[in-house]
Amino acid sequence: MSHLPEGLFWLALTLVLYVASRRLHGRFPHTLLSPIIAVPAVLITILLLARVPYAAYNAQSHWLSAMLGPATVAFAVPIHQYRQVIRRHCFPLIAGVIVGMTVSVVSTVWFSRLFGLPEMLERSLSVRSISTPFAIAAAPQVGGQAELAAIFVVITGLAGMVLGEWLLSWLPVRTSLARGALFGAGAHAVGTATAHRRDVEEGVISSLTMIIAGILMVLLAPWLAAWV
Amino acid sequence: MRALTARLRPWLRVLVQIGLIVLIWLAAVEISARFLPGIPPTVSGIAIALALMALGLLRREWVEDGAAWLLREMLLFFIPVVIAVLQYRSLLAGRFLAILCVIVASTACVMLATAFTVDLAWKLEKRWRARRETQA
Repeated sequence: MSHLPEGLFWLALTLVLYVASRRLHGRFPHTLLSPIIAVPAVLITILLLARVPYAAYNAQSHWLSAMLGPATVAFAVPIHQYRQVIRRHCFPLIAGVIVGMTVSVVSTVWFSRLFGLPEMLERSLSVRSISTPFAIAAAPQVGGQAELAAIFVVITGLAGMVLGEWLLSWLPVRTSLARGALFGAGAHAVGTATAHRRDVEEGVISSLTMIIAGILMVLLAPWLAAWV
Repeated sequence: MRALTARLRPWLRVLVQIGLIVLIWLAAVEISARFLPGIPPTVSGIAIALALMALGLLRREWVEDGAAWLLREMLLFFIPVVIAVLQYRSLLAGRFLAILCVIVASTACVMLATAFTVDLAWKLEKRWRARRETQA
């Protein structure tokens, strides 16, 4: 069997499962039915049962990952659209992101050492609180693995969604600026979706925080790697 | 036939806009590789798009729908990356609980630190502004 049809089959299966999962999740909005949980779970099960190596799966499916680059360019649109919001809240947003990202990297490294995780995991975990396309760019710079970082980003988003709602139920944080920043810095896109559901302004702040955090992390990653 | 083209038009517009965004990305990859060694295309791409919009060479409406589509469907693009977990089975085996603990603990730290910093910075800025106004 030639390799091209097999690669195209896996790409097509990914697309079909994605569309099906979106429809299903639209009707039954349960976290486990979300495309980012359900589709990989089904695909991994199939690949393991059929003993298909990852390289065979990724032969054509890598075209999907290639679109993560252009997706970062798309972030320029919300930045341009909400440039007034950024200008007005420039100081709190940038201060929050700088503190948040520093705490993110330092606490991840400390907790990883506490739990005795190998250095490769520690490094890949350290960029996990930013959006996937940024994490994939930052991970190799800090000596981590892009794929591992991507998985940790997804887990972070899900954990952060639950954690954020719970923290905000008792934390004395009243401005939607701080609430939105909490979701954007802690749980990137998943947090932003949660913030949007709670309040439109919170959602906008969350997405801006997420983008600024991603850009800052990618720029600072080489220095952070040398420092921790 | 006309009904069909009318239905296809919004899709075509999204497709063309995505093409434009991909071109900006490819330009960013080239520019970063040749002229900006410290700045990855992830950042230079955003900077180029913003610069083009600021200069009036690129109107937001030209890329808005394509960008919205890319951001909305971003989950699709990282499915293959998540599946790569298959390659790291031995590294992850038996460590999943520890990894989850690190992620939850650190995410809580990030959220608390960010929210309190933003709150504090917002209050400080408000106080500075009030002081400046009373002085003026």
